[in-house]
Amino acid sequence: MMMMENFFRLSLISPFVVMVLLGLSFLLRIKVNERILSTTSKYFSLYMAFLGLGLFIMAWHYSPDELLLNDGNWIKFAHYTFELRFIVDLLGATYSLLTACLIGIIFRFSRNYLHREEGYFRFTFLLFVLWFGLNVVSFSRTIDLLFVGWELVGTTSVLLISYFYTQVQPVRHSVKAIVSYRICDMGILAAGAWAHHYLHSTDFTELPKLLSHDHGGKALIFIGIFIIFASLAKSGQLPMSSWLPTAMEGPTPSSAIFYGALSVHLGPFLLIRFHDYIENFPSLLIAIGVIGGLSAVWATLVGRTRSDAKTMLGFATITQVGIIWIEIALGYTNFALFHMVAHASLRTWQFLRSSSLIHDFFENPVVKQDVSIRRGLSFLSVLNPEIQRKIYIHALHSFHLDFFTMRVIRGVSYPMKMIFAVEKKMMNWDNKLLSRIIRK
Amino acid sequence: MNMSYQMALKTFPLILTFGSWMFAGKSPRLKDIVLSILAILFIFEVVLFFQNPQELTGNYSFFALSFNRPSIFVGAIMSGALFMGLFPVRRSLTLNRNFLLLLGSGVGIILADNLPTFFFFYFLQRGVPAWNFLKNIRNGDAQTGSTYVFQHLICLLCAVYVMAQAFSQGILLTPLPEFPSTFFTVDILIVSIAIIFQTHGIFPFHSWVHDIVDNLRWYEISCIFLPRAGVLLFVQLMLPHFGSDPDQFKIALLSLTIFSSIYWSFRGIYEQNVQKEVTYFYIAQASLIMAGLQANEVALRGSYLHMMVISFSGTALWSILSYIQNHVSLKKHQSYYGLAQDFPKLATIFCVFGFCLIGVPLMASFVSEDLVINGLLEQQPYLGLGHIFATCLNGILFFLLFSKLFLGNNPTRGKVKMMDMSLLEMSPYMIALMVLFLIGVMPFLFLEKITW
Repeated sequence: MMMMENFFRLSLISPFVVMVLLGLSFLLRIKVNERILSTTSKYFSLYMAFLGLGLFIMAWHYSPDELLLNDGNWIKFAHYTFELRFIVDLLGATYSLLTACLIGIIFRFSRNYLHREEGYFRFTFLLFVLWFGLNVVSFSRTIDLLFVGWELVGTTSVLLISYFYTQVQPVRHSVKAIVSYRICDMGILAAGAWAHHYLHSTDFTELPKLLSHDHGGKALIFIGIFIIFASLAKSGQLPMSSWLPTAMEGPTPSSAIFYGALSVHLGPFLLIRFHDYIENFPSLLIAIGVIGGLSAVWATLVGRTRSDAKTMLGFATITQVGIIWIEIALGYTNFALFHMVAHASLRTWQFLRSSSLIHDFFENPVVKQDVSIRRGLSFLSVLNPEIQRKIYIHALHSFHLDFFTMRVIRGVSYPMKMIFAVEKKMMNWDNKLLSRIIRK
Repeated sequence: MNMSYQMALKTFPLILTFGSWMFAGKSPRLKDIVLSILAILFIFEVVLFFQNPQELTGNYSFFALSFNRPSIFVGAIMSGALFMGLFPVRRSLTLNRNFLLLLGSGVGIILADNLPTFFFFYFLQRGVPAWNFLKNIRNGDAQTGSTYVFQHLICLLCAVYVMAQAFSQGILLTPLPEFPSTFFTVDILIVSIAIIFQTHGIFPFHSWVHDIVDNLRWYEISCIFLPRAGVLLFVQLMLPHFGSDPDQFKIALLSLTIFSSIYWSFRGIYEQNVQKEVTYFYIAQASLIMAGLQANEVALRGSYLHMMVISFSGTALWSILSYIQNHVSLKKHQSYYGLAQDFPKLATIFCVFGFCLIGVPLMASFVSEDLVINGLLEQQPYLGLGHIFATCLNGILFFLLFSKLFLGNNPTRGKVKMMDMSLLEMSPYMIALMVLFLIGVMPFLFLEKITW
C-alpha cells in the first residue's frame, strides 16, 4: 500500500510540476525549443505510463479494497473544511492509465502533425493541464475536489477547440462548448453544495451510507439529478449534444483526446463513481437509461446525414457514450468501464487516422479493401420510404435541437430584456427632467 | 504610541493625496506623482497590515479617522490594484487633478471612522463626476449623467436621514463599529441597505453605473469602486448587529444581490461595446462580494478574498484593454477583433486574469467562491444555487468577451506589428498573477491572514 501511495502521489504531482514550469517559462518569456518540448513530453509520457501501469496493477491486485488517502485540509475555516481526500481504486487507476497511454500517443502523433506550428507550446501546455485535471478527477474522493479537475478539463477543452483562433468558426464553436460546459458544471457545484448542506459530506464513499440515515428526505434525490445534469455536457448527451460534433474544429490530436477519448468519457466516469448513490433512486437510473438511449438514436440518425469524417465520428462517439449510459443504468458498471476503455482507444485511432482518410481510401491497399461506406445499410430501411425521407430531413436539421435550445435561451433572457427596456426609458426621463430643471 | 504619532500615521495617506492634489497643479509629472503616491500607500499599508497593529481609532470628534484591519486591507488592495493597472500604461496615461481628488476621497472613505466623515468623503468622491455631468448638461454638451445625479441625490437624502436619526440619539460621532443594536430600527435598516446597495451598483439602485460607464475613464471608475464604500459601511456599521440566523429581510437582500450579479452578466452578454462589457463583468463580480458579506462567517471570509481577487483582476482587465485601445481602435463594432495575433502575451494574461475572476480552479477566486457558495447554502440552499447560476453566467460572459476581443480573424493583420508590452511593463501583472495563483494553490497560507 505504501508503494501504491507513492505511485499515486507522483502521478498526481508530476503533471502539475511540468504545467507550472511551462507556465513560468511563458510568463518569463523563456523560449522552449520545440524539439526539447517534444522529447521531454515523450519521456514524461513513458514515465507517467509506467506510474499508471504500476497503479493499475496494484489496484487490480488489491481490488476490491481501495486505498483511501486523507491529505489534510486545503481550506479550513470555522466549521467549513475542504478536505483533500483521494481514492485509489480500480476505476481511477484504469482511467489514469488510459490517460497516460492516450496522451502519450497524442504527444507522439503531434510531434509530426504539429511540427513547426506556432501553437505547439500552447498545445503541449494545455495537454499537461488536461493531464493534471484528469488525474485529479480519477483519484478524487469528494465532489469538491472532483470539480477542480473537471473544470480544468473543460477549460483546456475549450481553449483547444479555438486552437486555430484566427478563424471565426472554431471560435464560435468554442463559445458554444463553453456555454454547454458552464451550464452543466453548475450541476457538480450544486451537487457538492447540496451534499454539504444535507449530508455534511461530499465524500462519495460516505454518501451512500449517509443516505440510509435519510438526513434530507426528498431533497437528496437532487444530488443524483445534479450529477446526471453535470454529466450531460461532457459526454454530449441530449439535450447538450449539439456542441460536440462542432467541437472538431481544433487540431486532430486534440479532437481525438477530448472528444474521442478522455473528456467525453468523463460523464460516464462520474456516473460510475456515483453509482452506489444513484442506484438508491430507481427513477434516476431510468432517466440515465432514457437519456442514453435517446442520445444514441438521435446521434445515429443525425450522424448518417453528415458528410465529413470527423463530424461523423463525433456523432458516433455520442452514440457509443449513450450506450455506455444505458449499461450504467442497467448496473453493468464494470462492463461500462471496459466499454469506455475500448471505445476510447478505438476512437482515438479513428480520429488520428481521419486526417489521412482520403489517402487511405484511395492509396492504402490494406485499408482500401476493408473500408466501404455503406449508407444504405440502415435499421431504418425496414420503414416506408416516405417516413425514411421525413426522418432523414429532420435528421439533417439535427431534429431542430439548436432551434429548441435557442428558444429556451430566449425564454430565460426575455425578462432581462424587459428590465433593460424599462430601465432605458427611465434613464431617458431622468435626462429630460434634469435638463429641464437646470436650463430653467 | 503617543497621540501625535497616531495622528500623523492616520492622516498620512490623506495628506499625501490631498496635498498632491493641491500642489500638483497641471504638473507634467502628474502621472509619476500619482504612481509614486500609490506605491508609497501600498507599501505603507502592506507593512501596517502584516505588523498586526492595534487599532488606531477615532476620538469622538466631528472628523474622525481610524486605522483598523478592514481599512488597511481595503486601502492596500486599492493602492496596489491601481498601481498594477496604471504602471503598465503610464506612457499613454492622461491624468488630471480630478483623479487625485477621487483617489484622496477614496482614501478618506477607507479611513473614515464615523458617519459624518464617511459621508463627507463619500459624497466628495461621488460629487466629482456629478459636477461634471451637471456642467455638461447645462452647457448642452451631453444629455447623460442625470440618473447618476438623481440616484446620488436620493442617496444623500438617505445619508442625511441616517445621520439625523443618529444625531437625535446622540450617537452621531460614535465610531462606526460602536453603534448600538437599538439604532437599527426597520427604517434605518432599509435606508442603510439602500445606501450600501447604491454604492456597489446593486439592483435596484444600479442605473447610475450606466452613466459612469459611458463617460468616465476606466481608472476613474476603478477609483470609485475600489474603496468599497458599501463593504466598509456594512462591515463596520451593520455586520456586528446583522444576526447570523436567516430571516426574510436578509434572504430578500441576498436574493437582490445575487440577482444583481445575474443582471450585470446578462447586460454584458447583450452589450456590443467591449469597454462596457469589461465594466459590466467587473460589476457583476463585485455584486457577489456583498452576497458573501451578508451570509455568514465562512462566506464573509470568502468575500474578503474575492474582493482582493476582483480588485486586482478587474483592474488588470481594464488596464490591458486600455493599452490595446491606445494601439488599435475598437470603436467600430465587430463580432471578433482577433487581437491575439498582435498582442499574444497580453491575450494570455487577459485570459488568466479572467480565469481568476470566474472561479477556475488553481486560481484564488475558486477558493473565494467555494467559501461564499457554502456560506450561502447554509443560509438558504436556493440562494446557493442562485450564486452558482450567477457564476456560470459570469463565466460565459468572460468567454464571450475574450473571444470577441482576442480571437477570430483580424482584418488589419499584415498591416500591424506585434504590439505586446515589454517584460518590465508586464511585471506588475505577472506579480499579481503569481500571488493569485499561490493563493489558489495554497489558500491555507493566506486565509488566516485576512481575519479581523
